[in-house]
Amino acid sequence: MIAFIAFSIRRAWQSFWRNGFMSLAATATMVLMLVLLSGLIILLTGLDATLNYVQQEVQVVAYLKDSATAQDVSRLEASLQGMPQVTQVSFVSKDQAYHDFLARHPDEADVINSLPTNPLPASLQINLRDPNDYLDVATFLNNQSPVDRVLNIKQTVDQMVTVIGILRAGGAVILVVVGLIVLFIIVNTIRLAVVSRADEIEIMRLVGASDAFIRWPFIFEGALVGLLGAAVTIGLLLVSQGPITSLLSDYFSVLPVEASATVGRNIALIVLGTGVGIGVLGSYLSVRSYLIR
Amino acid sequence: MQGVTKSYPNGRVALRGVDLTIAEGDFVFLVGPSGAGKSTVIRLLIRDELPTKGVVLLDGRDLGRLRRREVPRIRRKIGIVFQDFKLLPHKTVRDNVGFALEVTGARRREIDPAVERVLQVVGLTGQADQLPAQLSGGEQQRTAIARALVHNPRLFIADEPTGNLDPLISWEIIQLLLRINELGVTVLMATHNAEVVTAVRKRVVALEDGRVVRDEVGAAYHRED
Repeated sequence: MIAFIAFSIRRAWQSFWRNGFMSLAATATMVLMLVLLSGLIILLTGLDATLNYVQQEVQVVAYLKDSATAQDVSRLEASLQGMPQVTQVSFVSKDQAYHDFLARHPDEADVINSLPTNPLPASLQINLRDPNDYLDVATFLNNQSPVDRVLNIKQTVDQMVTVIGILRAGGAVILVVVGLIVLFIIVNTIRLAVVSRADEIEIMRLVGASDAFIRWPFIFEGALVGLLGAAVTIGLLLVSQGPITSLLSDYFSVLPVEASATVGRNIALIVLGTGVGIGVLGSYLSVRSYLIR
Repeated sequence: MQGVTKSYPNGRVALRGVDLTIAEGDFVFLVGPSGAGKSTVIRLLIRDELPTKGVVLLDGRDLGRLRRREVPRIRRKIGIVFQDFKLLPHKTVRDNVGFALEVTGARRREIDPAVERVLQVVGLTGQADQLPAQLSGGEQQRTAIARALVHNPRLFIADEPTGNLDPLISWEIIQLLLRINELGVTVLMATHNAEVVTAVRKRVVALEDGRVVRDEVGAAYHRED
């Protein structure tokens, strides 16, 4: 068994280098496809981060009655914080609202200053775990005595949820389609490499080599192509990591996009897994067509 | 072969009810025009194809009933060479011959002596480290014969082994096959080479249009009556 594995690996290694051109073509295709795939994954990760950020920005804003006491408000805050749908509750006082208004509309300062009292209500701003819970929280707030009214942006939230859903689904579809194309192209390239050695396979069959002896060297060779392709791809990604990160933070400077080590490691694992997996699968399928008779 | 008919998916019928028995130790020429069914007989014998009708028995085993993993074992009992030699161009003579043992799981220390032995039989000891491209056609065919012999086959099949060789070299190859036959190996040779067949006077099986039209011992290439 060990002798067999050693034999297969040795043969895979030999034929990889002996058929240099084909191996190079297969590895280059592998690199190209893996770069394409990982680029897409990076983009989609960015998109996902963006969408998450946007979702977290969905706030239920409840304006409070001027008559509400501090005690009522803090009790309401506490019960909101107890709700599973809620991630964060912040209180905006009348003064704070006034300053916010001035900051946002400096030209309107005269208007608001001409009024005898500050007309802006205090409010609670509630961040949600999931924008779909908007209605639940809004209904709950409407029934609370310190609450004057809840800003109704239900329609906007619904539209946003729909758009985000479409973007996510679209991203997933593109990823699947590109993944399949990548699979197809790599399998085909490896197939070419195997077809160019049809003579060798034929001789092996004629001299009575068992299927395993014919198949495994090719599978190890496919794995080698995948491994090399993945290594080169990861190398390319590492080299380009700096520029990509700065590009991303330029574009998405508003967003807390983390080009963190975890993302990098995940992509490396995906690249490695895809490379080796497709290499093995490609070889298996290609050799199989010669073995089934 | 008993009542063997073989038709291909494209509708071509290559063999029609062929009965053929080859005794162990026999030397048989399989002759007939191109397309008569010679190659199909060979493909059936090495179980590269299965008969549409009838049975092919090799050493008492029905090839149609073999399990998949038994097929390689049967093939090791058969040595086969072709008109185009089918050598691996990047391997030396020694490695081409050793390859047959290597891919069937033989150990290194078993391979080397076995290879030396068959290279001696075919007379290529001196060329062991050359590549096929450095060899003459006859030497290439002898390399292929050595490779076919390295498993100690019981049946040796030669499909037009002299098709690419000039007459003198062809004679060398035939002499070699006769020697192999003398060692007790059954030899089946498909050929167009009338001169050789007539001179050697062995059993001749003639195929025409998928049927056995003649089966004579000690016969010539063409019918003599």
